[in-house]
This record gives sequence, C-alpha cells and structure tokens, in this order.
Amino acid sequence: MTDETLAGPAADEILYRETFHVRGGDFEHGGDVATRVKAVLRELSIDPRLIRRLSIANFEAEMNVIMYADEATLDLVVRSAEIEVAVADRGPGIPDIGLAMQEGWSTATAEMRARGFGAGMGLPNIRRNTDRFAIESTVGRGTTLRYAVSLTA
Amino acid sequence: MKDAIAQGHSILHAREKCVGCVTCTQACPTKALRVRGGRLTLKQDLCIDCGECIRCCRHGANSAPDASTSDSSRFRLRVALPSTTLFTQFGRDVRPAQVLDALTRIGFDAWYDMSWMCEMVARAVDTWLSECSGPWPKISVTCPAIVRLILIRYPDLLPHLVPIEAPRELAAKLVRRRLASERGLSPGEIGIFYLSPCSALMQSIAAPVGLPESHIDVALSIAGIYGRLLKAIKAGAREEHEPRSCAAGLQWAAGGGECAMMRNRNTMAVSGVADVTRVFDRIESGIYQGVDYIEAYLCPDGCVSGPLLIEGRYAARRTLRLLIENAGIESTVKEEKVRTLFREHFFDLEQDVRARPVRPRTTDLRQAVRLKQEKSAVLAKLPKKDCGACGAPDCETHAEDVAAGDARIDDCVFVHIETLESGVARRGDPSCRATQGGKVP
Repeated sequence: MTDETLAGPAADEILYRETFHVRGGDFEHGGDVATRVKAVLRELSIDPRLIRRLSIANFEAEMNVIMYADEATLDLVVRSAEIEVAVADRGPGIPDIGLAMQEGWSTATAEMRARGFGAGMGLPNIRRNTDRFAIESTVGRGTTLRYAVSLTA
Repeated sequence: MKDAIAQGHSILHAREKCVGCVTCTQACPTKALRVRGGRLTLKQDLCIDCGECIRCCRHGANSAPDASTSDSSRFRLRVALPSTTLFTQFGRDVRPAQVLDALTRIGFDAWYDMSWMCEMVARAVDTWLSECSGPWPKISVTCPAIVRLILIRYPDLLPHLVPIEAPRELAAKLVRRRLASERGLSPGEIGIFYLSPCSALMQSIAAPVGLPESHIDVALSIAGIYGRLLKAIKAGAREEHEPRSCAAGLQWAAGGGECAMMRNRNTMAVSGVADVTRVFDRIESGIYQGVDYIEAYLCPDGCVSGPLLIEGRYAARRTLRLLIENAGIESTVKEEKVRTLFREHFFDLEQDVRARPVRPRTTDLRQAVRLKQEKSAVLAKLPKKDCGACGAPDCETHAEDVAAGDARIDDCVFVHIETLESGVARRGDPSCRATQGGKVP
C-alpha cells in the first residue's frame, strides 16, 4: 500500500546524506540513533524547532524498530528545501495500516508498556511532527516510513 | 598569579601551575577548553562555570575567586547566608547552630539558616506543579550550571524550567526585607554574603539568569573561609538555647533531597554531567513525559559534591544524614504562610529565561555541509584514540577545530609521526626500516 504523498517534491540536489543502522530488540541503545541524527542536524545549523520535531519522529520510528522489527536502516537526506528521513525495516510488517495510524491503537506487550512505550501514539506522533509522511508495509517482509520536515516554510 | 580564565567567568587560572596536561579539557562538559601552545584557552560562550575544571586539576591551576567582589565596606550590616552544604563540612559532632554561631565570630553581624527557605520552596514547587500545564517533565532551576547548560545546549528545554526561584535568592530577598524593617536600615545598607559550594553559584550571583540583579551582594567560596570558620567553631562554647535548623530543608544539600522533600512523588533526581546529558537528550526526544519533575545537578552528588567544598562528598553525605536524623524530619514550615507568599508571587522568577544558543559558525546550509564534510575528512585521518594530546578534548573536536581553521591537523601526534615517517620512507632512510614495516632486522 502506497500513500499518495509518497511522491513529494524535493527532487533537488542532495546536500548531505548519512545512513544509520538500528537493531531490533536493542533496548539498551534505544534512542541512540535519534540522538546521533540530532547531533548531525545541529552541526548543520538546522533550526532547533525543526530538529526537535524531527527528533521526536526519529525516536518514535527507532523505538518501533527496536520493539517490533529485526533491523532497519535510517536514511537521513538533507536537501535545501527539506530534510527527509526514510526508515526501512525488515520485520513482520503491519497488516492494517489504517488501524496502526489510529491514536491509542497498539500491539505492545506488557513489558514494552512497562518501559513507557506502546501507548499507541508512535505513528500518529510521527505524522503530527512532520510535514510529509508516508508508510508502506508488506506483511512478513517489513515496513518503510518516509517523512520530512520542510526547511522553506 | 591567578587570572580570570576569561572575562565574565567565575574561574581563575594560574598559568604557572598549569602543566598543559589536558585533563581539564576532557572533563569539561561543554568542550569549552583547549590547550594551545602549552596554554589553556577557553571558548567563552561555551563555559557554564560548572567548576569541573577546578575539580579535576591535580596541579591546583584552576580555582574560583574567594569572593565575587572585594567591595564590601559600604555595608552597615553584614549577613551570612550559608549554603546548607556548609553544615556538612565539619563532621558529625558539629551542629548547624555551632557553625552559624561561628559565622558571627568571624565578622558577620547576622546569619540566615537557608534550610527553612529550602522547605518553603519545595512546597511552592509542589503547589506550582499541581496547577501548571505541559510540557512535561518540569525541570528544577536550582543548579545554575544546569540552567546554563540548558541555555546553550538544550534551548528546547526552556519551557520545561520551573519558574520558581532558587532558595538562595529568595532567602536573600526575605532576609533583607526583614532586617531592614527590624533594624531600621535602608535595604542598601544590608550586605548579604552567600557562602557558596561551587563556581556556578558564584557566577549566578555575578550574572544571574531569571532575575535582573541578584538579591545577594557578595558570593564567598566556602573553601576560602573554611580555615577561619573551623578555628571559630573550635573556640565556640555550647549555648543554652540553640537555634534549630529545618531538618527537611537540610536534605536539599544533596542530590535527591529536593525530590525527597516534595509531596509530589512522580519525580526523578539525576546528577553528574554524563547522566544529565543523557537524560536531557531523552527529554528532548519526548521520553519521560510521564514524569512530573526532574531535579538535576551537574555535580555528581548534588551541591554536597561542589568543587569549592573541603570535605569529601561521601563523608559530607554521612554527616548530612546524621544531622537530619538527629534533628528528626518533621515538616516545620507553616503551609498557610507558603500559600500566602505563593499567591503574592514571592517565589516567582522575576524575568523570563532566554536561550543563549552558541552562535553557529555559519547559518548557510551549504556552507555548514561543507564544514561538516571537511570535518569528516579530517576525522578520517585521525586515530580516534581521543588521547587529547593535540589540546582538544577528543578527535572529533580536533577535527572540528581543524575544519574551522583554529588548529592544524598535525597538532595530532599520531598524524605528526606518520607524516615524519612517510617523509623518511620516501627518502629511503634505512635507519627507519623498523618503524615502517614493523620488522626488526
């Protein structure tokens, strides 16, 4: 399933690109990739308000991988018009994306909830904090999230 | 000869004692220090006056001034306002009342025991938390090094700061008001001397955040007056009716004490540079939203481990625990009074706290990318041993400095040796064969 917004604008030149790796089940380092991405964006003098929004999205995406998938790459692409992040995981996939996008819907286990996750706010929270959001998923193979914040607004 | 390490900071540096060992550059939480040409230099806008460079220097090259100003002759009444940590400095057998009495014998006309204000502030924070809205969690403004860290590194966390002033400023405001009316003095004739456990607190009085001017007139280093005070304590006699400290408020002296005092139990206490940074990173990512209040200290154990104290922090904590147990924890502050003061906005910060983000080298995205790429290219050539011998705290910072034109790549000893060796190898000098291939003939 492909969201229409996937096509997006931003065909312009890539100014900076870096790929990060997230391991499923790695709770110990949960949030590290989001923190590293944040450091990169700070170095690039990106507006702190945008960094904050994107960091919240990155953290949610990273924790989704850690909780549900086997592994993923987080691809950071900076263009002059926007910063795009693609998180592609190898994992179980999401059978009903419409349901997963509803606030409060979660398949988190008791253990995940005990750690403060699984409130069913992850995907909606990513969408809320970004200017462009798309999700693609194949059951049994994995999920790809693609979201961006605009630098021109 | 001690010079201010930089204008407008509460750290002194004695150049002749500095051996250029780079220990402090690596201890600095904001990576503000460098050793260049054998001399310590400071990137001013990064310094939060936390005193880690004082704490870690084995050569005593870094220190805090004994007093924030030498101009104290103008006061008709000199009032000592000791940090509650002062009571932890003389072992279990010296009661707070003896310490306060000794203060009057080393030249102060009066004192104020801050433990009372500490408990009042804890109540005020409780009240404020019960009425405020997000973002969560709220963060304490007690530690000025933490506040400054937020101003420069975590400006996004500014809305999380609790706009309730710290006990020291409120105590100074209260005691000045009280003594002026009791003794018929003008407020300006009363000098309030804060006895400080750290350089960050001294700096907060010289250059306060959240109020236009400090209510404290002079900040004194506890280490600076320790000797005289100890002598006066030993010479003192036991009084019939000793003033009591507020046992609950004494807890504020150590990390976790503020949380221990509060009614709200949904709190977290975090201390030490590394842990604070980690927790703040996570708050920025939106974690800990379920927590109401975070008490954070840059020093590893809260104020009781401040760099301007004499007693080691473990011993000081033991003394503190015994003092509190002896006094017996009971709430001694009148709720009614706190509520009235709260409604009068007595506890409020007087000014908005504004971010002071470090100015980026460039605001142009393309140029920033170019700098980052240059930095990555330099970093690729560095050994990543983070030895600090180049004078920057780690390889990444050195790469940044090189990209910015502030340092040369061969300030790195490893790069330097490699350059020399490759030059020698090109010339085919047989005496260097062993180092080239690692084979000894």
